[in-house]
Amino acid sequence: MKNICLLTLIIMLTAPLLFAVNPREMKFPPLQFEPANPVRFEIDNGIVIYFLEDHQLPVFSVTGYFNGGSVHDPKEKLGLSDLTATLMRSGGAGKRSPEQVDLDLDFISANTSSDADKDYFSISVSALKKDIALCFEIFSDMLIRPRFDSGKIALELANARERIRRQNDDPGRLTRRVYYQTVYEGHPYSYYPTLATLDNITEADIRAHYEKFYNPDNCILAVSGDMTLDELQSLLATYLMSWEKAGVSIEAIPEAKPKYRPGVYYVEKDINQAHLCFGHLSMDSKNPDRYAMDILNFAMGGGGFSSRLMMQVRTSAGLAYLVGSYLWTRPLNGTLFGYCQTRADAMSQALRMMLDIMADVKAGGITREEMDLAKESIINSYVFNYDTPSKIVEARAMLELMGFPSDQIKKNLEEYRRVTLEDCNEAARKYIDMENLAVVITGNRELFDKSPETFGTVTAVSLEIK
Amino acid sequence: MKRIRYPVILILLLTAAFAAEDELQFSVERFTLDNGLTFLVVERHTAPVFSGYICVGAGSAYERIGDIGTAHLLEHMMSKGSRLIGTTDYEAEAELMVKEDSVWAKIDQARRATRRIRLGEPNKLDAHLKYIEKLEAVLDSLTATSSQYVIQNEFDMLYTRNGAASFNALTRYDFTSYYVSLPSNRIELWFAMESDRLKNLVLREFFPERDVVSEERRLSVENKSNSKLFEQLIGTAFIAHPYQIYWEWQSEINNLTRDDLMRFHDMYYTPQNLTVAVVGDVRLQQVKKLAQDYFGVIPRRPDPNPIYTVELEQTGERRVELLYEANPAVFISYHKVAYDHPDDPVFQVIERLIGQGRTSRLYKSLVLDQQICLDISVDVFPGNFLGDPHASAFNIYAYPMNGTTTQELEQAIYAELDKLKTDPVGDKELQKIKNSIDAAFIWEAYSNMGLARILAFSQNLTHNWEYLKTFRNSMKAVSAEDIMRVADHYFTGTNRTVATLIPANSGGGTR
Repeated sequence: MKNICLLTLIIMLTAPLLFAVNPREMKFPPLQFEPANPVRFEIDNGIVIYFLEDHQLPVFSVTGYFNGGSVHDPKEKLGLSDLTATLMRSGGAGKRSPEQVDLDLDFISANTSSDADKDYFSISVSALKKDIALCFEIFSDMLIRPRFDSGKIALELANARERIRRQNDDPGRLTRRVYYQTVYEGHPYSYYPTLATLDNITEADIRAHYEKFYNPDNCILAVSGDMTLDELQSLLATYLMSWEKAGVSIEAIPEAKPKYRPGVYYVEKDINQAHLCFGHLSMDSKNPDRYAMDILNFAMGGGGFSSRLMMQVRTSAGLAYLVGSYLWTRPLNGTLFGYCQTRADAMSQALRMMLDIMADVKAGGITREEMDLAKESIINSYVFNYDTPSKIVEARAMLELMGFPSDQIKKNLEEYRRVTLEDCNEAARKYIDMENLAVVITGNRELFDKSPETFGTVTAVSLEIK
Repeated sequence: MKRIRYPVILILLLTAAFAAEDELQFSVERFTLDNGLTFLVVERHTAPVFSGYICVGAGSAYERIGDIGTAHLLEHMMSKGSRLIGTTDYEAEAELMVKEDSVWAKIDQARRATRRIRLGEPNKLDAHLKYIEKLEAVLDSLTATSSQYVIQNEFDMLYTRNGAASFNALTRYDFTSYYVSLPSNRIELWFAMESDRLKNLVLREFFPERDVVSEERRLSVENKSNSKLFEQLIGTAFIAHPYQIYWEWQSEINNLTRDDLMRFHDMYYTPQNLTVAVVGDVRLQQVKKLAQDYFGVIPRRPDPNPIYTVELEQTGERRVELLYEANPAVFISYHKVAYDHPDDPVFQVIERLIGQGRTSRLYKSLVLDQQICLDISVDVFPGNFLGDPHASAFNIYAYPMNGTTTQELEQAIYAELDKLKTDPVGDKELQKIKNSIDAAFIWEAYSNMGLARILAFSQNLTHNWEYLKTFRNSMKAVSAEDIMRVADHYFTGTNRTVATLIPANSGGGTR
């Protein structure tokens, strides 16, 4: 350190152009930050509302979250959740035909979205403040009185089929899909719609699916923007109070257990890179070890340029543009995987390097410096998860939907602070499993430096569109 | 010392006059250092964070054949640190880098000689190839030796440790930008880091990074059907202007040198060619002081070379095909004018009219009504939100449904464009476009980063960030007659380039 300071001094004296202050030496106190606490209240029909006023710009946004998710789709009707969510936006609502909904929303430049995630549903609208009443009217019609126009059902089914026909065009998306299909084998997390399952979906299925999940007592609303609580309450009274409670019962879906055969899953595609994705099931989103594991993964491959995978595979070896590892904790069991794309004739070189890094982390853990960097990064950047009112209310709504306590945001930060090096390295031993890896390799094996068999028993993955 | 020039004050006064009809809820402060570097500052104290956005007024369009890829590789190398950051011993490293460069020069020379030796002195070929291999091994070992002095990715790590979010950089045709968000008590760190890399850049770990950029091309272009088709479209639409090169080619990346990068850096990364925007929980007075302390010492250099090239007039429709292992697509491009031409706002309005939202002309007609198209989108290329500094293009990208040929889809698109020439757009539809212009203007300011970006872009492009407002007003003044006139003038077969993706397994030829 002394040498460096001396060098700085010399440079500063000899070259006035150079550093005013050495960024490496700069120290800052921790940021004092506590996200604003939204108002939470419930109305008679069971809707829970999180609300924050924000008068900075004349805009607002509202998102409704629903328990459920496409994990509930019957296996022979995969795609049902996606179609229903899409059609709530596009299939007409209340007195408005599908065309009228589009015209009215586009005229005021409202942004809308409706999505079926694996674990929940969401539907949202955001627009300028002056159009808030109209937006609430249409939003409530979508939620309470969707029309599911039969012409639009046919159109969305046709579009879904076309997307399936195109699902193997992009090697990155293809590789990720095959990875999930492999490690979650037998579990709804592995299911993707096919032409055959779309053929089984009827208008009655869509209506029944809607009736089951989209109910006020299954709904949490996140509202923020340029309005007062009184204004919001009057909007709720006008547009959402009449929505009748239905008594929701949603069956539990079992956790995902590993059923796949460890080894290589080879996807043949005539490209000049190998797309690699390897990993295994890891932990669910409430596992108490997730904080330690998150910090460990940051150092291994989750922390971008500060991680081992990035430094060795990209910065030193120049083998990849995107490389890293991802810890995805999910309600019904998560996954830990490494990924990269490299030139085809470096496939085995890159994969070997990545597997070695993962094995090293399991065996030897990470260093104190690596852990400190990860912890400081997570703690110091925490503010960015909650730096706008919409992020705060959306996070709070999601946490409640997923069954977390109301002080979870604060608790998360405390838990990250509490993690020790021993916790991280214990997590490495417990949660990294080099014996049970599913290794997905997409590319043209004729161009590889070594055969896929180098890395285990190879299963060829069919790309037939069914 | 900072110097406020008269025009600045004048403009500020004008702003005040327009403030009543300006929906933006913030005030923008501008100041320019003596070296010509302009800062824009918006104080917003809603959360203890800020975003810093640096816009360099040169991107890939400023490269020349032979050093294509320079702007992009330089953008990568800007995160490699400086004489202080990223190293334990810069002097030792510098010596090794000189050696690396001279070995690379020998490799380059030897590779070029290979063809001559193969043809003229085939008996020496084996020895020659061995010689190249040996040189390559020397280069690798030099890189390995210098790595002992490198603190890898330290620049990134300093930001990461301090809680940076959205730390990244971007190379476009006309701009290169560097941006990050930080907790607001790290404001001085940002000034120290950003000024340090501008002043004291060191191109360490150069050769592996060249390979990274080469891998980025494989990932983002060569194995991505949309980008690959786009590269063909733009490469065909432009014959002369540098907009023709969508992405640097492998043959160019693999031959770039440190000298290429430093030449580009010295030419274009000059204070007067940079704009800096700082938005968030900051204080103007502090930003002014830090700006002077950290950036004030960068010397002004001569003005950079402009682009003189003007695209040739198109003399007839151009068509190009891509045979590729993917499903069909058709991309269409029409030449258009630069941002300062009165027709440009009309293009921006047409983009919204035919390409934005479910009720836009193309989506409504082709996706919803005729149901012959899975998805369709439109953009003003290269797509700066204020239009482009050079005569550019208006593009349409469409993906047919199974059972519809790309020709049928193309004809349906032309039919919609033809309607623009003959049927005036109704008042309500035009009002919808104007509403969307107002809404976009407000939403762009929602996040610190979004606001910093548009301010830096517009200041850099027009030397007056308030052009944002002028531009919005000129878009809102577009009439139904303007649309008819522009559609009629530009959406012609002669002004058109069409690129079609034909699935490789279909046997090729026109479907």
